[in-house]
Amino acid sequence: MIKILIILLQLIFFIAVSPFISGVITKIKNNARMRKGQSVFQPYCNLVKLFSKGEVISETSSWIFKAAPFIVISSSLGAALLIPVFIFSGQTYYIGDFLALIFILALGRFFLALAALDTASAFGGMGSSREMFISSLVEPAACLVVFSVSLQFGSTNIASFSGMHPVSISSLVASFALFLVAIAETSRIPVDNQETHLELTMVHEAMVLEYSGKRLALIEMSSYIKQMIWFFLIAQIIFPIAVPCSINTAQIIPWCLWYLARIFMIAGAVALAEVSVAKMRLFRVADFLSFAFVLAIIATICAILGV
Amino acid sequence: MDGSEIISGIKTKLQDFNAISVSKNYSDEICIKVDPQVFKDTCLALHKILPSPVMMLFALDERKAMGKFVINAVFASFRRSQWVILTMDIPQENPCFDSLAKSMYSANLFEREIWEMFGIEPKGNPDLRRLYLHDEVWPQGNYPLRKDFQKMKVGNLGEYKFGRVEGEGIFEVPVGPVHAGIIGPGHFRFSVAGEPIINLEIRFGFTHRGVEKIFEGKSISDAIRFSERVSGDSSFAHSLSFAQAAEKISGISVSLRTAYLRGIFLELERMYNHANDAGGIALDVGFSFPAAYASIIKESILALNEKLTGSRYLKNINSVGRVSVDFDGSKKSILQESIGKIKQDFDELVKILNSSVSFMDRVDTAGVLKKKTAFDLGVVGLAGRASGIPTDLRKYFPGIYKEAKFKMVTQGAGDVLARLRVRIFEFEESCRLIEEFAARMPGDEKIENDPKPKEGSALGYVEGWRGPVLYWLKTDSSGLIERCKIVDPSFHNWQALSYAVLGNIIPDFPLCNKSFDLSYSGNDL
Repeated sequence: MIKILIILLQLIFFIAVSPFISGVITKIKNNARMRKGQSVFQPYCNLVKLFSKGEVISETSSWIFKAAPFIVISSSLGAALLIPVFIFSGQTYYIGDFLALIFILALGRFFLALAALDTASAFGGMGSSREMFISSLVEPAACLVVFSVSLQFGSTNIASFSGMHPVSISSLVASFALFLVAIAETSRIPVDNQETHLELTMVHEAMVLEYSGKRLALIEMSSYIKQMIWFFLIAQIIFPIAVPCSINTAQIIPWCLWYLARIFMIAGAVALAEVSVAKMRLFRVADFLSFAFVLAIIATICAILGV
Repeated sequence: MDGSEIISGIKTKLQDFNAISVSKNYSDEICIKVDPQVFKDTCLALHKILPSPVMMLFALDERKAMGKFVINAVFASFRRSQWVILTMDIPQENPCFDSLAKSMYSANLFEREIWEMFGIEPKGNPDLRRLYLHDEVWPQGNYPLRKDFQKMKVGNLGEYKFGRVEGEGIFEVPVGPVHAGIIGPGHFRFSVAGEPIINLEIRFGFTHRGVEKIFEGKSISDAIRFSERVSGDSSFAHSLSFAQAAEKISGISVSLRTAYLRGIFLELERMYNHANDAGGIALDVGFSFPAAYASIIKESILALNEKLTGSRYLKNINSVGRVSVDFDGSKKSILQESIGKIKQDFDELVKILNSSVSFMDRVDTAGVLKKKTAFDLGVVGLAGRASGIPTDLRKYFPGIYKEAKFKMVTQGAGDVLARLRVRIFEFEESCRLIEEFAARMPGDEKIENDPKPKEGSALGYVEGWRGPVLYWLKTDSSGLIERCKIVDPSFHNWQALSYAVLGNIIPDFPLCNKSFDLSYSGNDL
């Protein structure tokens, strides 16, 4: 019973906090551009707005179009359950496999790409093909980071590195590689541009162009969650923190603050990276992600060498 | 200088050339009337010897007065600072003329326009699809620029056929006319093989308002306000071009002070648009910091416009023979102060753009428009100069620019970076020119300019920020407008875009498009 409660608590935590991270990134970006910018709570307002709106669904689309948002949100939430937050970690407690996490997220992406093709809109097709092109480069890099991490901790179990551990050179390089992967995965500049109004340059946005109302809200929500998962993983590698095994109010508040602060530090880094570079030419993304791949190889070598 | 030099030039190409009449009503216009049989050859000869693309080609309906149509072709002789207007009569029964498009591509769109608006057939033009009057709503047999056109006649509707590229792996991507951004409407039909663009066909006419028809019958003072609304981001250039044509007809010469004031406002219009485009190019590659910076610069220029004239977009300033802006000493100092600050900000923006590797990687070699292609298409203005075609009316028809030692900006590469650089250098030159104009401007002088209604026709021309804005105006004896032909530089340059993007990938299209930044409303009329 308590386990179910904990699982629910974790889901609510991800759903409640993840839009805030996007709001903070947008705020930092706007302030860096000498603008006041929207409130950090704007993503919540957007979600409320979308959930209360009607939907337009193309008559020519099949069940995939209708089902995809639910699969996408399930995959994100499922992946979120593999992250040790409230689900207490301990060396013996099995939480989830790092590789499983990557492929659960890939499932969501696969269905989103299918749904974009389903409407037969030109933009959907372009978005799908670009997303698949990018993800085919992202996944090897992400997997290699997993290997380097699991070499260090002797397991691909996420719980194995969720405790307090020393930060090695290998972890530093791996987290940087993972940072580049996260930029691609969360469709941010220089790989993609969430803010663009130019339909011809979109990647992720082009895929979801045909969605509206509740289904669009689900897709947005799952993007927020996915982003938080990646930020958490980076944070856990570079700023490791142990999950407390007992609830002690004196400890829990500073722990919570630090726990969230690291995620916002990553978010700040992403925001500043976004305003300081231009988006790449589409095919230059291959170079960008090969760089992430090479970093992951270096991290793996470092892990083998034990540094 | 009279037309004899031009005539002898034509005779080197056409031995037995004989003009029906050669007249010179104004110091900068030569009007040559020729027989319809030799019109085509004369055009081609002028095209070669000047060398100039056809700057305007348009028809007039003179059936009521003289029982015929008239076709005028306007060429620019940049070296001699002369406009050459070639005229021929066309009989009203079964009107047609020999198409120039196959030998001189820059005439192609003009011919299609004449065909749809007047029903005068350019014989031999392979592409007679309509430009503005969409077949889906305008039945066949409606020629709205004819004088006897009253109301749309009901008839058979047609369908526009896009050029098709076929083959394995070729896809069509239709985009627009409704776009995701707040921009004008245009339909872009891409044929792509994966991401690279194989062919692009652009369809316009969605903002066709019948501007030239609305001009007809208006008085000059009404029409000048109307000309400001033809293309919103060039409202000063349009009204100035119109005013110049009207002034030539009524024989008014403006005071030096007015000329300098007009020069200042024209350059301010150029500056706010160039700043806007520099930011727009940055924004289209997702480089949002300099884009925000550029929007601050644009806003400070617009605010300056408002302080000086009361209008952010420089409207309600021009009238025939004068400008309705009082420019005292305090405004002069506001102007000088603001320009100094704007220039500093702009230098900072340029520094940010130039020092960003990721930005340079995007704009360098993207969307190349070759010089030969640009010349054949008759590309004018900024886009032409970026491709190495040195045409700038401010240099060749200088007026006040001569004293200010105007320096023309050209680039050779013809890519997005070249077009950006032309903007950057022109912005800096405009700052200098404004300071120069303000310093040279003589004090108050009162000149009574009371335009009297007069019959006649004349050409007005201004180098707006995109390129030459041309107005050919004809008035009747009571001073009302009989025909007003407008050519915005967008009309020439839109087709260049569909050549510049070839071989580029689809996600780079918005960037190429922004680097031209052409007007929909200036094109559609």
